[in-house]
Amino acid sequence: MKWEIVCTGIGGRGVLLASAVLIEAATSAGYRAMASDELGMSQRGGSVVSLVKVGSFRSPFVGRENADVILSFEESEFYRNLVFLKRGGLAIVNSRKPALPGAVNAVLDARKAVCHLVDADGIAGRAGSVQASNMAMLGFFSHFALGPYTFENIIGAIGRKVAARLLDMNRTVCGAGRDAAQQSSMKTEVAP
Amino acid sequence: MSTTEVMIGNQAIALGLVEAGIDLAAAYPGTPSSEILPAVIDFKQRKRAPIHIEWSVNERVAMEVAFGAALAGKKAACMMKQVGLNVAFPPLLRGRGKALKGALVIVSCDDPGPQSSQTEQDSRLVATLFNLPVFDASSPADARLLAAHALAYSAGMRMPVILRSTHRVSHAREAISLDPPPPALIAPDEGLKVSKGRRLGIVTSGMSCNVALDVMDELGLDTGVSLYKVAQVFPLSPEVFAFAREMEHVLVLEETDEVLEALLGNGGRISGRGSGAVPRQGELTFDVVRAIVQEVAGGLGLKARAFSPDRTIEDAVSTVSFPRRPPKLCAGCPHRASFYAMRQAFPKAVFPGDIGCYTLGTTQGAVDTCVDMGGSIGLAEGFSDAFEQDGSSPPILASLGDSTFFHAALPLLYDAAHKGKKFILVIMDNGTTAMTGMQPTPQSGGRAEGKSEHPIPIEQAVKGLGVGFVRTLDPYDIPGMIKTVREAGADLRERGRGPAVIVARHPCLLFAKKGKDTSSPVPDLSADCDGCKKCVKFFGCPACFFDESEGCVKQDQAVCVNCGLCQLVCPQKKGGGKGRPEKPRQRRPQ
Repeated sequence: MKWEIVCTGIGGRGVLLASAVLIEAATSAGYRAMASDELGMSQRGGSVVSLVKVGSFRSPFVGRENADVILSFEESEFYRNLVFLKRGGLAIVNSRKPALPGAVNAVLDARKAVCHLVDADGIAGRAGSVQASNMAMLGFFSHFALGPYTFENIIGAIGRKVAARLLDMNRTVCGAGRDAAQQSSMKTEVAP
Repeated sequence: MSTTEVMIGNQAIALGLVEAGIDLAAAYPGTPSSEILPAVIDFKQRKRAPIHIEWSVNERVAMEVAFGAALAGKKAACMMKQVGLNVAFPPLLRGRGKALKGALVIVSCDDPGPQSSQTEQDSRLVATLFNLPVFDASSPADARLLAAHALAYSAGMRMPVILRSTHRVSHAREAISLDPPPPALIAPDEGLKVSKGRRLGIVTSGMSCNVALDVMDELGLDTGVSLYKVAQVFPLSPEVFAFAREMEHVLVLEETDEVLEALLGNGGRISGRGSGAVPRQGELTFDVVRAIVQEVAGGLGLKARAFSPDRTIEDAVSTVSFPRRPPKLCAGCPHRASFYAMRQAFPKAVFPGDIGCYTLGTTQGAVDTCVDMGGSIGLAEGFSDAFEQDGSSPPILASLGDSTFFHAALPLLYDAAHKGKKFILVIMDNGTTAMTGMQPTPQSGGRAEGKSEHPIPIEQAVKGLGVGFVRTLDPYDIPGMIKTVREAGADLRERGRGPAVIVARHPCLLFAKKGKDTSSPVPDLSADCDGCKKCVKFFGCPACFFDESEGCVKQDQAVCVNCGLCQLVCPQKKGGGKGRPEKPRQRRPQ
């Protein structure tokens, strides 16, 4: 199996740590994985994209309309990178908004893509620190258990990639992210 | 079981060089090459290898240090970005004389796009033009083995060898085995990778090879096509020519110039940059290569899946308004204040700029040119002479960073002082080489492996070069900075000779590890905003944006670091508005 994941956000929000966790989780589960980072020129506050590919790929590029998943750690960067998302893909967007703009929802529906808006900053703030919103995003993503990305594998990879003093907090936030996904999927299931 | 570690291409290159037994490594930082030398330090420590490692003051020094060691019988390596190779040209060309007793590998990292350079440039072309062997790495794992091979090849040929990487290889991450590779593997991974017919032959090197293989896979292009991967671009193996002769049609995929294409040289049958099939500029991304291969394969009638982009995505996104995020200096960057003060002091000046973070002064209208390292001073000299000839005298305000100053400015500033050229130079001293990842500068005295010795103050160098007007101040004091720039202008007029130099000194906030200052949040700009947009137009902090719907400026608290500089820029606050700080916040330079 093959997976292509686009992680996107702005400098200083932990996009690269999240993609490092994704590669670590995949390689330690025995998959071939590679990533490519685009940082632009500004060091803090600029657009950051990290492309992650898992499986028998040769290059670390993700093509237009090829990504299985977009993890957007900042809402604006989701729009900028939406062309990557494949028909039927999954998007998880860190945002406090209740819904996406109508035109974007319509194109996602037409392309049978699923998008979850997650208040990752809020989840992380309540469970530890806003700075760890990337961990809340990873926790939310783990709910879908795509390929190597089970909650256990992601937690294990966090253990190998995050500084010891922040580890407990990061794991707690990751767990809170997963809980939020479970709750929102329960809501969806009972909705008429 | 073997131990693996996920690492970027630059770490893999360092691992390959350390495993191959280098004795010396020297470099000047430059994206995308900067992480190699720190990784050499890392693997030196892990493997307890006796390697001499240093950051040099520029690429020419790095290459000459490595060249000298190689002449003396050592195995040496130097690293730089593609435009850094230009700086090192004199020793590079002289190195062809086969005089080495040891070995010399020059790692030159290209920047297709370019993403973080003033121009694209193909190091393979430089090597090929001047008969220097060059190897092109296609992935981190490949780069690690090729680095070791290049060192052995250099020792055998007794001449320098270039290992070319690109940012997509240098900054790709993958799992690399930490076990030393078996000797048989330390050879270029070159040859036929796909052999499914003679209708179309793809000749490719570097990352483009891996992209092409992924594209062929996606398009289901599996009949009539063969692919030959080149690792040693110069001298090119006769087998590549034989492959090209066998094929009915050839497509060359390479970054960023026509090197393999020119070497193969059989015009009509080749699709590439010459035929217009491959764009002349920009990175060969998956999408670009997919379009090229579709077009060429389609033209030859080869069976492949068609991809056509769904433009309804762009249509939907175009209805949403979101921040564009052009590259800008960081929130709280002291030298946003320097640029602001320069522009405020002399709004109609000519602003020759330089390389590094401070190229971004363009966003504030305080950088007009960006040519090469130290170019701000040379161009300022030329502008000064030209204006003098024409009898006009617009002020000239040049700027460059502290690392750039030591890299390239010393002979230029001496020349300007000697001849009395009339311009103001602002040296933006943030205490580090920030854009490339905080490498030490001569002023800090920092050395590659952490020691600090013999710091050289910028002012001492400036005075020693014969400059009369030298002032140092903290640009966080914006009114003081504006006043000092005006004083420098007055000094040029009074004395009738220049240059006048201002050292604007305040550490990079990322270098000083200063996060958000939560002790004293700055007052809200929106409270008494009258919509003049001065802060957005001339200061341009990424934390400030103008909300058109509400007609006032807002601060993005996720980006704001509470530096308070915007309070000194806003006319409402300066006019005695509520919450104005009594005086500029003092932050001691470190």
